[in-house]
Amino acid sequence: LKAFAYVNPASEKEAVAALKTDGTAMLIGGGQDLLARMKDYIDSPERVVNVKGLDATIAATPDGGMRIGSAVKIIDLFEHAQVAKLYPAVNAAAIEIGTPQIRNQATVGGNINQRPRCWYYRNEEFVCYKKGGSRCFAVNGENQYHAIFGNEGPSHIVHPSSLAVPLVAYGAKFRLVSSAGEREVAAADYFTRPTLQNVLKENVLEDEEILTHVILPPPGNVKTGHYEVRYKASHDWPLAFTTVVLAMNGSTIQSARVVLGAVAPIPWRSKPAEEALTGKPLNEMTAAAAGEAAVTEAAPMSGNAYKVQIAKTAVKRAVMNAAGIKTV
Amino acid sequence: VAKYSWPEKPALLGTPIKRLDGPDKVTGRARYSYDINRPGMIYGKVVRSPYPHARVVSVDLAAAQKAPGVKAAMVYREPGTQVMYQGDPVAAVAADTEERARDAARLVRVRYEPLPHLANVEQAMAADAPPVFPNGNVRAGARDETGDLAAGFANAAHTVDETYSTHVITHVCLETHGCVCEWDGEKLTAWISTQAVIQSAQQFAQALGIPQSNVHCITQYMGGGFGSKFGPDAQGIICAKLAKQANAPVKLMLDRKEEHLDTGNRPSATAHIRAGVSSDGTLTAFEADSWGTGGAGAPSGFPLPYIYNFPNRKRVHKDVYINAGLQRAMRAPGHPQGCFLTEILMDELADHVKMDPVAFRLRNLPPAGPNAMWAQYFRDGAKRFGWDKRHATGDPTPGPIKTGIGVSAHRWGGAGRGSHAHVDILSDGTAVVKCGTQDIGTGTRTIVAIVAAETFGLPVSGVKVEIGDSTLPFSGGSGGSTTAASVTPAIRVACIDALDALFAKVAPTLGVPPADLVADGGRIHVKGNASKGVSWKDACKLIGTEPIAVDGQWQDGLSGAGTSGVQFAEASVDIETGIVRVTRILAMQDCGLIVDKLTAESQAYGGVIAAINFALFEDRILDRVTGQMVNPNMEWYLLAGMSDVPNIDIVLNNMPERGVIGIGEPPTVSTASAIANAVRNATGATIRSLPLHPHKVLAAIEQVRAGGTN
Repeated sequence: LKAFAYVNPASEKEAVAALKTDGTAMLIGGGQDLLARMKDYIDSPERVVNVKGLDATIAATPDGGMRIGSAVKIIDLFEHAQVAKLYPAVNAAAIEIGTPQIRNQATVGGNINQRPRCWYYRNEEFVCYKKGGSRCFAVNGENQYHAIFGNEGPSHIVHPSSLAVPLVAYGAKFRLVSSAGEREVAAADYFTRPTLQNVLKENVLEDEEILTHVILPPPGNVKTGHYEVRYKASHDWPLAFTTVVLAMNGSTIQSARVVLGAVAPIPWRSKPAEEALTGKPLNEMTAAAAGEAAVTEAAPMSGNAYKVQIAKTAVKRAVMNAAGIKTV
Repeated sequence: VAKYSWPEKPALLGTPIKRLDGPDKVTGRARYSYDINRPGMIYGKVVRSPYPHARVVSVDLAAAQKAPGVKAAMVYREPGTQVMYQGDPVAAVAADTEERARDAARLVRVRYEPLPHLANVEQAMAADAPPVFPNGNVRAGARDETGDLAAGFANAAHTVDETYSTHVITHVCLETHGCVCEWDGEKLTAWISTQAVIQSAQQFAQALGIPQSNVHCITQYMGGGFGSKFGPDAQGIICAKLAKQANAPVKLMLDRKEEHLDTGNRPSATAHIRAGVSSDGTLTAFEADSWGTGGAGAPSGFPLPYIYNFPNRKRVHKDVYINAGLQRAMRAPGHPQGCFLTEILMDELADHVKMDPVAFRLRNLPPAGPNAMWAQYFRDGAKRFGWDKRHATGDPTPGPIKTGIGVSAHRWGGAGRGSHAHVDILSDGTAVVKCGTQDIGTGTRTIVAIVAAETFGLPVSGVKVEIGDSTLPFSGGSGGSTTAASVTPAIRVACIDALDALFAKVAPTLGVPPADLVADGGRIHVKGNASKGVSWKDACKLIGTEPIAVDGQWQDGLSGAGTSGVQFAEASVDIETGIVRVTRILAMQDCGLIVDKLTAESQAYGGVIAAINFALFEDRILDRVTGQMVNPNMEWYLLAGMSDVPNIDIVLNNMPERGVIGIGEPPTVSTASAIANAVRNATGATIRSLPLHPHKVLAAIEQVRAGGTN
C-alpha cells in the first residue's frame, strides 16, 4: 500500500479543492471499493479525500421527489420509510447490496461510482484497457460474468452498481460539484458506454468533480417491479437484475422504463422491452413478452450465453412483480 | 475383559459435550498462529512468480533491501531454474511492518524468460501441446482390470456411455498458512498453523540443517487445514531463514491470493465411462478411461468405480500435468471425485431399468459388514427423509421451481496408528494428560479430556490437557481421519495404568486389593460399594511428593478402521435461471465408538457444508490464455454463506464394539453427488460435471427440452 495523504474536508468546497493536486487524488466514502483497490495495487493515489462528512441526509423536495446525499449509508437508505414507499425498487436494490457489514459502511455515492468488479480488472497481473493496457482479457478468456449487451466497445465489464439501475429507471438526476460550479446530469446520461477514449472511466464525472446528491423526481402514478437473480443467496454479485417502472392508465401500461443491471457496461435500458410493454395490459403474458423483447438485442460472449436466459427471466419477473403476480 | 478396553457403561463417551475451547474461540481469547506477536517481531513476505511457466534469469534484491524498514531479503529460486506455476516462490523480504514488507517485496527485481505453458487439461492433452514437463505432460496412472469385460457387456440389457467430471477446488483455510519463527541461538521456536506439529519440527530441522531437538513447534489453535497443512512448506522455511538473517522474530502468514495459488488443491477428475446393467437391475460391466490434473507434476488418482459391485470392470487412469499449483490431500482425497463420477451414473442406470435409485443401489451393494452399513442406512435414511414421496425423474409440478431428492453413499478408513501419551497425577488431585497431537478444529483437545475424565471418573473439567506442542510425546499428523483413533487409545492406556498406580496407593487404606477398586463420580471406591471409598482429591493426597507419571501408547483393540455413510439431499431448481438451492441434507454416518457426540456431529456438519461448496460454488478458474488465476479471493471464489446452508440432519450410528474410528473426512464425500442426483430428479436433466453452475443447469434443461437424450 503506497503511503498517501488523507484529507478530511468539512464542506463541498473544501472537498473539491482537495481534489486539485499534481498527483492522483481519489474520493473515499465507505471505502468498500477504494481500499480494496489500493491493497491490491490496482490504484495507488497520493491523496485520499474523505467525503463521508458531506451531506448524509435524505430529504423530500418541494415537488414531491427526494434528494439523497451521497454520504448516506446504504443501510440508512434501505431503512428510510419514505424512500421505500415512493421508490420501492431503490429499497429492494439497497438490501441486495453486499452484506450487513458492507451496507453499514458503504455509501450511496460509493455504490454509484465504484469501479468494475471484473476479475481481470481486479487482479494486477492483467493490464487491461481499464488499467491503460491494450486489450480486454475477457474476450478470449473467462467471460461467464461479463456483458451480454453493449459489447461493441473495447471493454466488456458489467457495471457493478446495484443502485444505478433503479435510479436510471426512476429518472433520477445526479448533482455534480466542481470548482467551476455545479451541474445536474440525468442518471441515464451519467454512465458511459466504453470507447477507446473513455475506457479508463465508467461515467462522465470529471477528475476534480464530486457526485454530491441523487435527486429523484416524484414517481407519479407508477407501478414498480424489481427482480434480482444471483447464484448464492448470501453475499454475491447478481447474474442479472431488472427494475421496471410502469406509468399506468387504469390497467393499461401507458409507458415503461425497463433497466437491466449486471448485463452491460452501463445500466442497460431496454427500448425493445419498453415497447413490448407500452399499451399492453399488465399481466403475465405481457411480462413474458417483455422478457423476450429485452434479449433481442443481446450479443453474448463465448461463455455467457446462459445470462441471456437469466436476463430474460429477470425482466419477466420484474414486470410480474410490478403486477403483483407471484414470480416463482 | 481385556485390561485395555472401553467401559461398557460409559459416563461421558458418546454423550454431547461442549468443545472445551469453544468460549475461547468465540470470544477471541484463543490465540492462533496469526495472533502470535513477539517482542521485536517483523513481517515476512514472499515474492512469487506471476507467470505460469518461466525461467528465472536474475533476481536483484538491491532495491528491496534499501526500502524503508527492510531487515532481511533472500533469493529462494536461483537464476537458471524454472518456475512452474503462478505463485511459485522466488524470493522473500522481511520488514518492520506488514505493509512495508508487501511494498518491499514488489521492489525485488526478478527477470523472467516466459516459457510455453499449459493452462488446462485440454491444452495439456492436445496433440500439438508444447512439451512443458520433462517426461511428458500426460503420465500413465493406475490401471485395474477384473472379470470379463466383454462377457459383462454381453449380459447388459442397457448401457450408458458418457463423460463425467469434477473440477479443481482449493482448501480455503480460514486461517491461511504460515508461522511466526523466533531463534534463540541455534534453537528455533515456530508458532505454526499446522496439522502436524511434530512432523513440522522434523521438516524444519531437515530443511535448515539443525537437530530436530533444536526445533520447537507450537500449534494451540488452528484455523483449518483440510489436508493442506502437514509441514512448514516453502513459506515456513523462508520465515525461519528471514528470522535468522534479521536476528528478529518474523511473522509470515500468507494472504488469500497466495493461499489459493500455492497451498494445494483437490485435483480435477474426468472419466469417460461405459457401463452396463442387466434387465433385472444387476450391474454387469464398467469400463473407464479417466484422467485428472493435480497441477505442475502431482498425481490425480481417485477410486473408480466407487462402492458398487461391478463384477467385470476395467479402468485406466492418466495424470495430466498443467502449470498450476500442486494438489495436496484434501478432505477424503479422491473419494468425492470417484463418488460423483459413479453415483450420477448409478441414477442413470437405475432409470434405464426403471428402478428406484435406493432399490437399485441395494441390489448392487458389496457384502454388508460392520464397516459397510450402507444397506441399513439406505433403508433407515429413506424412511427418515421421506423417500417414499420421491417422484420419478423430472418434477411434474407446474411453474419454474422444480424440487427433487437424491441419494449417494461413501466409505472411508479412519484407522488408528502409533501415538504416545503421558499422564501425571499430582498429590493435589491435578490430572495432566500430554500428547503431541494437535486440535485442527476437530475437537481433539476435547476428546482427549473426555477419555481421561471417563477413565478417572472425573468431570471433563477435572483434567488438564496439553497438546499442540512438538516437545510432547509423539503423535502423528492429523490426516486421513486418523487422529481420534490414534490418540484416544494412547490416552486410555496411559490413564488406565496411572489409575492402577493410584489404586495401589488407595487400596491399603481401604483394606482391599487394588483390583477391587473403581473410579467414578469423582471417587475411588470398592466395586459395588460406593460408600466404601475416598474422594479423588483425598486419594491423590496419598501420592506423596513423587507424582504418578505414566507413559502409554496406542494399542490395537481400542480403535477400528472403516466407516460407511449414506447421504440424502433435497434441492430445488429454478429452471428459468438455472439456480440450484439445497434445501435439506440427511447424513447417515458411523465412526465406531463415538467419543463426543457434539464434536462428531460438528465434523459431519462441516463436511456437508464443505461439500455444498464443492457441488455448487467453488471453482479455481485459471485464465485459459495466460494461465493466471482470475478468482484468487473470496469474492469470485464462491463459498456458501449462512443463507446457502440448508437444514442438515445428522444421524450417527454409535458402534462401541468397533472402537474409535475417525470421522473428519467421510461426511464430505457423498453430499455433492446426492445434490446432483436431486437436481436430476428435479429437472429431468443430467448434469455430469461439477460445479452445478447455472450455465450447466440451463444447458442441460435446454437439451432435454429440445428433445435430446438427457
